[in-house]
Amino acid sequence: MSNSPFTSVLAALTRQRGVRASLVVDENDGIVVDSNLQIGQDGDRVAALAASLYRKARLSARAAQLGTATFMQLEAERGRICAAGRNDLVLVVVADPAANIGMIRVEMIKAAGGLP
Amino acid sequence: MADDVRRWSDELARDPASLVFLPLGETLRRQGQLDLALKIAMRGLERHSHNPDAHDLLARIAVDRGELQRAFDEWDMVLRLTPDHIGALKGMAFVRFQQGNTPEAEQYLQRATEKNGGGDAEVAAALANMRGAGRGKRAAGGGARDASESNAHSGSPLPRPAPLTPHPAAALFADILGDHEQTALLLDDQGLVLAGIYVDGNGDDVGDEVGAELSGVSDSARRATRHLDIGEWRAIILETEVAVVTMAPSKSDGLLVVAASKATPLGLVRRVLDRCLERARQWLEAGR
Repeated sequence: MSNSPFTSVLAALTRQRGVRASLVVDENDGIVVDSNLQIGQDGDRVAALAASLYRKARLSARAAQLGTATFMQLEAERGRICAAGRNDLVLVVVADPAANIGMIRVEMIKAAGGLP
Repeated sequence: MADDVRRWSDELARDPASLVFLPLGETLRRQGQLDLALKIAMRGLERHSHNPDAHDLLARIAVDRGELQRAFDEWDMVLRLTPDHIGALKGMAFVRFQQGNTPEAEQYLQRATEKNGGGDAEVAAALANMRGAGRGKRAAGGGARDASESNAHSGSPLPRPAPLTPHPAAALFADILGDHEQTALLLDDQGLVLAGIYVDGNGDDVGDEVGAELSGVSDSARRATRHLDIGEWRAIILETEVAVVTMAPSKSDGLLVVAASKATPLGLVRRVLDRCLERARQWLEAGR
């Protein structure tokens, strides 16, 4: 497996308790730029849906004059999706409901700041 | 914050006459621990019965508990002790409005404005909204223009909630939101406002516009959770440069939106969302 500029960041995120997948996604087309997935995770599907959701949330917040989005978290019955973006890239994490979301959030915001 | 609570609690245990019951009670109130906050405030009042801040604290707790008349009585006591207490006048206006006595609410707001030389943006905005209710929305927005300028000077970027508004549905969440920089909207499945209010920096109610924009997010959330097989979505927390916006699905494919200033702790916003959700559920089940 080749290394990308995001490999270490994604590996660090996936090591967090309860994290099933971490990805860097192009927000515009939902294509995976790099990913670190546990077995059974469909990276392409996660990327497309998470990027779409983040983009919608970001544009809606801007239209509602709430400023630029910095972090988004979706809570569902059996999992969470977190996203933090910069420029056209979105860092996405899929986690279990019991994951330490506070720690994941801090790590993601920090990592998103380093996106090109 | 947990450290502060522990420190204040320890200090109060060492010195029951300490005034730290004031920040302790207020913090517990903000955390939603109303029974404990009430206990702390009552004990403090036993030793500081002539302290206006203690009565003010008790009034705020009473509002959060839905005990409006008790809150009014406590603020009335504050005014007896400190006739120029702006917070008490605002609180009494809030209670009177909640009780449907708009003229008296306006009188209290007017007094608050006079006492403060017209410099309180929140009071000015609320007064403008109330007066504008009879003259149409445009008039309300224009009347609050000075208030928005004051807001800009105070450095508050978030559209402020309007705790005083002429329609009962608009005030559905007012007692939960209190006087913090928080606002809440209940939207139907079309993104139309059912209850709550959202006032922008110009004093205009922009609930319809905000609702229309944010309601689309719930469709994306539903699609994502379905395709990823992670069950029904429960909440979205969106942080922006200036605000924290939380959303949750409500009855009949509706959406509840709670927004707060960026300075508000995430956990607190989440708790407020849960309380507003419960209020919305009760309200909708009551057939509104």
